[in-house]
Amino acid sequence: MILYLLTLVLLVFIAPILLSYIKAVKMVLLFKRPISLMQGYRNFSKLLTKETIISKESSAITHYAPFLVLSPLLVTMFFLPPVVEGAYYVSFVDAFTITGLISLSTFFLMLLGLDSASAFGGMGSSREAFISALVEPAMVLTIFSVSLMADNLGVGQAGVNLAQHFPKEHMASYLFAGISFFILLIAENGRIPVDNPETHLELTMVHEAMILDLSGVYLAIIESASSIKFVIFASLFASLFMPFGLEFSAPIAFVIFILKLFIIATFVALLEVNTAKLRLFKIPNLLGLSIVFAFLSLITFYVLGA
Amino acid sequence: MVDFLIGLFLASLIVALFTTRLYRLLLWYSLNSLTLGLLALTIGSNIDDDGMLVTGVITILIKAVGIPYILKNLSQKFHFVRQITPEIKVQYAIMLVPAILVFTFYLSEPIVNMIHTNANYVAISISSLFLSLLLMMEHSNVAPKIIGFLTLENSLFLLGITATNGMPMLVELGIFFDLLMAIVVINLLFHKEEMKV
Repeated sequence: MILYLLTLVLLVFIAPILLSYIKAVKMVLLFKRPISLMQGYRNFSKLLTKETIISKESSAITHYAPFLVLSPLLVTMFFLPPVVEGAYYVSFVDAFTITGLISLSTFFLMLLGLDSASAFGGMGSSREAFISALVEPAMVLTIFSVSLMADNLGVGQAGVNLAQHFPKEHMASYLFAGISFFILLIAENGRIPVDNPETHLELTMVHEAMILDLSGVYLAIIESASSIKFVIFASLFASLFMPFGLEFSAPIAFVIFILKLFIIATFVALLEVNTAKLRLFKIPNLLGLSIVFAFLSLITFYVLGA
Repeated sequence: MVDFLIGLFLASLIVALFTTRLYRLLLWYSLNSLTLGLLALTIGSNIDDDGMLVTGVITILIKAVGIPYILKNLSQKFHFVRQITPEIKVQYAIMLVPAILVFTFYLSEPIVNMIHTNANYVAISISSLFLSLLLMMEHSNVAPKIIGFLTLENSLFLLGITATNGMPMLVELGIFFDLLMAIVVINLLFHKEEMKV
């Protein structure tokens, strides 16, 4: 139980560091002086002391929605596969539950965008709805095919099974699922080929457009929600697609897990530096590719068993 | 390991189907050939076939490095159209690619029943054969059609090394020279086109 709680605390605290780390890697590669890894915490504490201003047109939803964006993600964190052997985990939560909780959070984020009654908010919400509608089927298919390979529909149990018995005989379908999930990781967190988290240009905004009217504490909550979403996806990727290092003693296993998270973040940063942002109507091509790979993974597993 | 490489082979082919830039397509072709070469090396060392090791090294040298380099030079020389949009729209391709895969996986079931070793690999190489046919079909420019032809050859090669546990080395070398001849002929065709203009 203590290890379980320790994992949760670790995930919450490492979330802002990971996003700052991605930014720092990008800045190093662009020959700028990198920001410190603590920048996420600094922004958070700065936003907490600022005044919270809410637009006159907005209704009560603006007061509730930031918490409702954060809470499904926090609940999802309880269902993630264990990091250390012997840690407590929830074994019965399947692909639908995790996808549903994440899309519940996205739903309230879209409501928040609509509620501000500005043109930007509605535009951002419609774009986010467009992207997340394409993400969900691929995510359900991918997690299902991985859980089938691990012989258990529960995600937590699947992570444990994969660590104990690496699916060598299903390597082909495992690879397809991995490619599909990495595309989803990028799309759902609004990283560069899909959405640029750093600009406030009207052409490129998806996530930023919805939270443009927020300030102060609410903005801090939404920012931490987006960093927690990244850490959820990264740790799902780490425990489902890099299932090793679980069998060591607790401190070493934690270090290995953190290293895995940083490796994933490095890959995301390298991809961000090397690609341009896609046009909005090209995004279905990328997500369609992810759906094709997810389906292919399931079909290869069923028909060929490879 | 072989499963992983064969998955990478199919994955690079599927990504190539959705590409809209010529140089990116050459990169995917190069990756495809690289996995093919590594596959030949792995299977060759598994079954102790020196001929297949030589073939693997030649595959990596010629197909993964040589042919993409030559094609890139050619495309710069003759000013190919570098933006290649597939004729089949992406939303249809998303339906078509899984349909082809399911169809070929079931199609190859009788063959799979006859072969006892590496049965899955035969099914995957037949499906990649169909996918490279689709790659040839969906483009109207000549350069991606050439890539489609080359990937067709790659998947035939994959079928050869997985289904038969290695063809005689003479046959494989013959195929390589065939391929080189095809590149030379393609080069001549471009020169002729250039003369007309």
